Amino acid sequence: MSSITLTQVTKVFVSKPVVDKVSLDVTSGEFLVLLGPSGCGKSTLLRMLAGLESLTSGEIHLGQRRVDALPPSARDMAFVFQSYALYPHMTVRRNMSFPLIMRQFKWWFHIPIIGHLAKRRIEASPEVSAMVDRTARILALTDMLDRYPRTLSGGQRQRVALGRAMVRQPEVFLMDEPLSNLDAKLRSSMRAEIIKLHRKLGGTFVYVTHDQIEAMTMGTRIVMMREGVVQQVGTPRDIYANPANTFVARFIGTPAMNLLLARMDAPQGQLEVGDQKFALPAHLASVTVGGSQDVLLGIRPNSLAIVDPQDKRGLAGTVSLVEHIGADSIITIKLDSVKTAHEGDSESDASDEIMLTKSGYSNLSAGSRVGVTMNLDNASIFSTSSGQRISTDLSVTCPVDFKN
Amino acid sequence: MNHSIDWRHSVRVMVVLAILGLTAFPIYWMLVTAMTSSGNLFASPTHLTPDLKQWPVFSKVFGETPVAIWLKNSALVALGTTGLSLLLAVLPAYALSRFRFAGVGLLGLGLFVTQMLPEAMLVVPLYAIFGQLSLLNTLTGLILVNTAFTVPVITWILKGAIDGIPIDIEEAASIDGCSRLGTVFNIVIPLIAPSLAATAVIAFFHGWNEYVFAQTLISDAHLHTASVGLAGFVGELSTPLHSVMAIGLMYTLPAVFFYLLVQRYVVAGMTAGSVKG
Repeated sequence: MSSITLTQVTKVFVSKPVVDKVSLDVTSGEFLVLLGPSGCGKSTLLRMLAGLESLTSGEIHLGQRRVDALPPSARDMAFVFQSYALYPHMTVRRNMSFPLIMRQFKWWFHIPIIGHLAKRRIEASPEVSAMVDRTARILALTDMLDRYPRTLSGGQRQRVALGRAMVRQPEVFLMDEPLSNLDAKLRSSMRAEIIKLHRKLGGTFVYVTHDQIEAMTMGTRIVMMREGVVQQVGTPRDIYANPANTFVARFIGTPAMNLLLARMDAPQGQLEVGDQKFALPAHLASVTVGGSQDVLLGIRPNSLAIVDPQDKRGLAGTVSLVEHIGADSIITIKLDSVKTAHEGDSESDASDEIMLTKSGYSNLSAGSRVGVTMNLDNASIFSTSSGQRISTDLSVTCPVDFKN
Repeated sequence: MNHSIDWRHSVRVMVVLAILGLTAFPIYWMLVTAMTSSGNLFASPTHLTPDLKQWPVFSKVFGETPVAIWLKNSALVALGTTGLSLLLAVLPAYALSRFRFAGVGLLGLGLFVTQMLPEAMLVVPLYAIFGQLSLLNTLTGLILVNTAFTVPVITWILKGAIDGIPIDIEEAASIDGCSRLGTVFNIVIPLIAPSLAATAVIAFFHGWNEYVFAQTLISDAHLHTASVGLAGFVGELSTPLHSVMAIGLMYTLPAVFFYLLVQRYVVAGMTAGSVKG
């Protein structure tokens, strides 16, 4: 197992930085998730780790060894592709043996018949066979070793791709959205398989995904990226509870965190939201913003509750949409006196709608008048100008240089 | 509904039979002509079936003419052209597909320019060049000139096939320890096998059928290919038609058998890369 250190890693495509001065430490044995929307640079960063993309500038170290100038095969990193990238003309056994055959490659393997016979001999050797069989047993592929990839299902192909990575016993496993081509149910089961695999193998995993559920359930730490820049690095719990900025706040959590325009009066210990005034909770009361100031109040849908529209504790509004998702209901409410700051978000086109989750089946319907109360115990405050989190804990506000 | 389906199926079968008839009939007629005696060739009514008693015409032709040598030479030239063309075309096709460098478009265009030149125009200059290189009157020279004409076409077809291979697979191979050349041999070539078969057919038939250079560059009778030997059968005063057709049939059949061997790859190879898999 090895740690990975990225120092000011940058990649520029046609004068546009797609990965911009990223510095990270990945500890040995960690399951690090690179999370972000499409085009944020996470796959490019992973490919630079693997050696499939060159660096414009910066350094990559695997343990003490600098590897950014080395070819992919010399970095001792295995890569699992989104498309699996199995060799269609080889059986499952040959796909899994291939990295081990290449380790013993000689120049005369290029000679047509002689090379073919030599490769077959290596494939059939006790060492290679044992490794392939052992890996196939772990991944329940033993019955499929003589089949071709085109005869396998998506989940089976995924396991073959994992097996091909595992047989190499690499220092690092790199995975580029390996579950994105699977259906929801299979994705869920494969997620569990990969987590178990990580625990069993103990290797360092770097996993790219745009799916926050995968990130939250699988990662020991998450690196949130946007437009090539790291927004926040932290454990899933940290990122969920203490998002560094409004982008992270809205990306993590389903439904997304509500961002309400509010006025914070720190000396008075009050937070004015719409036509209501709330007492600042302890964790927000310690934040000094210098007098009265406009802020963005970030509050999760599960921290809101429906009350009677006449209840003076609540913010009055009208239900726009009710969605039932089995055990819970998601209620979209247009508040009378509160503006939101949900920019460019498809969940809510209007500027003053919030989303609230309620356990069980809701009997509300569109057009119903309601009141909304807020539990501010887990709320966050963000700057209206920069979108950055306002906190006494400065470590979660730094968007760059996440070295331990 | 069933009647409608049957009617369409019948029409389809009839169209296929008609096309088959049009394409196979010349070969059948060669057989009929070969196995018809000279006296009955222009008799009325026309003989539509071969006269089985004329079967010895084939052994007679083998005995009286060096057709076996011609066929051997044609086979050597065709197979040599095929092997050399494929060998020379694979790596340029890979480079045109995978590498981006200044002039790649012009290079590709340059390959097509060579196809615009008719063979007859190049005969004289090539004769002079081959004379200086001591390649005149050799099958090697013939293989080289045929290869020069087939490599551009084969390169373009293989480039299209390689374009259809997902780059992920090659990247996986590089991570697994393959060099660029190793990726070509272990991954790319097996995946473009159908296209290789299709281009092998193109190269084989070019080498097998080529006449202009075979006639011009080869003077020794024992090095004549079948296309030249067959043309020599057309005499000034009389042309032994049944013998010509017998030789023609023997000349046609090896090419037909070669095509039958690789035919299922030809369509796959021609359309490889046109649809994303």
